[in-house]
Amino acid sequence: MTAAAGSGPRSRLGRGGLPGGTRFPGFDVTTQARHWDPVTAGVVLDRLRSPEPPRFFTAREEAIADALFDQLLAQREDPRVPVTAMVDSRLAEQRTDGWRYADMPEDGQAWRESLRLLDHDAAQRYGRGFCECPEDQQRELIQHVQDLGSDDWHHLPAGRVWSLWTRYGCTAFYSHPAAWNEIGFPGPAYPRGYKALGIGSLESFEVHDSRPQDDPAADGQA
Amino acid sequence: MNAVRRRNASAWLLTDGGRRVNPRLRAGMRRFSDTDEIDLVIVGCGAGGSTLLQRTARAGWRVAALDAGPFWDPEADWVSDEAGSHHLYWTDPRVITGDDPVPLGSNNSGRGVGGSMIHYAGYTPRFHPSDFHTRSADGVGADWPIEYADLRDYYRAIEQELPVAGQHWPWGDPHGYPHSPHPVGGNGEVFLRGATRLGITARVGPVAIANGRFGSRPHCIYRGFCLQGCKVNAKASPLITHVPDALQHGAEVRADCMVTGIEIDERSGRATGVRYVHRGRERLQRARMVAVAGYSIETPRLLLNSACRRFPDGLCNEFDLVGRYVMVQGAPQTAGRFDEEVRMYKAPPPEVSSEQFYETDPAKPYRRGFSIQTVSPLPITWAEHVAAQGHWGTDLRRYMSDYVHWCCLGALCEFLPLPDNRVTLAEEKDHFGMPVAQFSYSQCDNDRALMRAAQGVMEEILKAAGADEVMTIGRYAHLVGGARMGTGPSDGVVDSSCRTFAVPNLLITDGSVLPTQGSANPALTIMAIAARAADLLIAGARSGNSQGVGVAG
Repeated sequence: MTAAAGSGPRSRLGRGGLPGGTRFPGFDVTTQARHWDPVTAGVVLDRLRSPEPPRFFTAREEAIADALFDQLLAQREDPRVPVTAMVDSRLAEQRTDGWRYADMPEDGQAWRESLRLLDHDAAQRYGRGFCECPEDQQRELIQHVQDLGSDDWHHLPAGRVWSLWTRYGCTAFYSHPAAWNEIGFPGPAYPRGYKALGIGSLESFEVHDSRPQDDPAADGQA
Repeated sequence: MNAVRRRNASAWLLTDGGRRVNPRLRAGMRRFSDTDEIDLVIVGCGAGGSTLLQRTARAGWRVAALDAGPFWDPEADWVSDEAGSHHLYWTDPRVITGDDPVPLGSNNSGRGVGGSMIHYAGYTPRFHPSDFHTRSADGVGADWPIEYADLRDYYRAIEQELPVAGQHWPWGDPHGYPHSPHPVGGNGEVFLRGATRLGITARVGPVAIANGRFGSRPHCIYRGFCLQGCKVNAKASPLITHVPDALQHGAEVRADCMVTGIEIDERSGRATGVRYVHRGRERLQRARMVAVAGYSIETPRLLLNSACRRFPDGLCNEFDLVGRYVMVQGAPQTAGRFDEEVRMYKAPPPEVSSEQFYETDPAKPYRRGFSIQTVSPLPITWAEHVAAQGHWGTDLRRYMSDYVHWCCLGALCEFLPLPDNRVTLAEEKDHFGMPVAQFSYSQCDNDRALMRAAQGVMEEILKAAGADEVMTIGRYAHLVGGARMGTGPSDGVVDSSCRTFAVPNLLITDGSVLPTQGSANPALTIMAIAARAADLLIAGARSGNSQGVGVAG
């Protein structure tokens, strides 16, 4: 495994922010956990624990998924949100949305096939496995799938594979308190709720954006 | 005593303090035996099923409602968290297809007592009078066998029972609401500011969240997690608005029971009960009448799976109408970026709406219209919106870090009922051995034109409010149709009282009976139709026209 989700520094992401989480200095939602109801606190704080070893992905699939999610979610250094492990447990426990497109296999199978195809593309194009490729090559291989739009990627509709990857990846990543710190979202709000409603209003535990003009939509330098 | 309490005491039957359920009420619930021939068995305990259950229990009927999911305890079972709320949805296998397949699961399905109203936003607008005759007035859609006037009193009654908060409503049949409007958060402020600058009328509400205490239900705490199940008991769902009163009047709610077939007596052609699976065991509940309220996918699926010698193509399907004319609303979401901090996650997502574009405008190239409402996606749903623009990697993270600056509006476009937008049975079987539903959807030109027009108006509102950038995601919301109401068996599965044409003692009392959908969220209309069906059923039993129901009211 090139990137074991269950051991090493990857698993130590807990309290504190992510690299890049500099817009809301000092904001750490977990400091408010004592105000959360116990059922919610149990579910959310569980995400900070060291992830379990994979039960769904094979070791090779896990390595490819790690590399894919690192690119999709720009996780370049530790500590990382353990996205692969979170996706793995959803698939192992069949916590999928249930539905599938008629021209796609069910989610678990779609994951296995799409990871295998990424590896296949890497071998064809660069003569090595996907996770053995340098990052710029990995990004090119991923970009190729996105660029296909509604065309097929091998035997699968590319747009639906893209949607599968981003849906699972974003659901895992943005369920993690470290990601909430980065975006200024305080997480669970029961039983306390909010009192300061309205534009520009802050609760005592919220933090203003320190770079409000840093508008990714306007500067075009994403 | 409060007038609502006299006819539906649900809010007063909940306990106060930390508990959100009344343990005495649930423990003391009447329990029928499978071999009892009860007066009515209801399949599905959501908007339609629970309303029918409460009304018939009040009338003294021996009635039970079966639901495939759990009997929720909001305190123990729900969390104030997006990813942790996955169990609120219907996630059994389904296949989607067509030119514009509609993803199911999270956004348009429910599971458990309370149905999808457990996780709906809480918007409860009425349909407009024009919705009931779009075929004659606009040349599209269908005419209902009833008019708005047939539902008006039921709308008012349900609005009081939920109860609904909002400003006076100037559209459709103008009306007021029992509770005054809630204060709005940043998202609502932006909508109101943009609309005012453009001369568009927007109003606060209508939202099924009590403004103030209501019985033992506490005040809303504006925490923004309406779509994850209201742990507060402030937002209305049948779990707290109709089920408690039903239990108090002797109804049974049987949770974790998946109904797999409706039993038919081949000789008489009448329904005799339902087959269901509970804890792995197949059982059969006998009843004099059966009502199906499983919503637009599961209701047609159950009818089609209940084929028998007398109904070889599926129950009530002699005219090939079961599963057809299923509708979703086109629900594009447009977000705008502001230098100010909007923080749309604070306050309930349902805040402000406009129905100014609801009706057919003869100057436009399309028929019918759309409504616009605040929606306030939490981070995971917001990431889907951002990722849909094609952003990934560093680009995605940067956009996401800008979350507090965005305001988000959603439209509901009236997609037209089309025969080929339908539920059929797939080859694939689920773990009960029952064929899974296949749902095919393709938009027509009018649908697509509405999506574009709605996006245009939302962009204008956001820009007028000061947004420097906007971005839109195309999506769908809600489900209705699939067993529509008609004037006769060749154009409908049920008649105007929700009774099936084919089986005299079988009713359908959910969103699948709607022939058209307007641009309104369907929950209130589904409850109003079920309440009306219950009244007619009870009155029929009293006058002797019981079609086999031998109970007096």
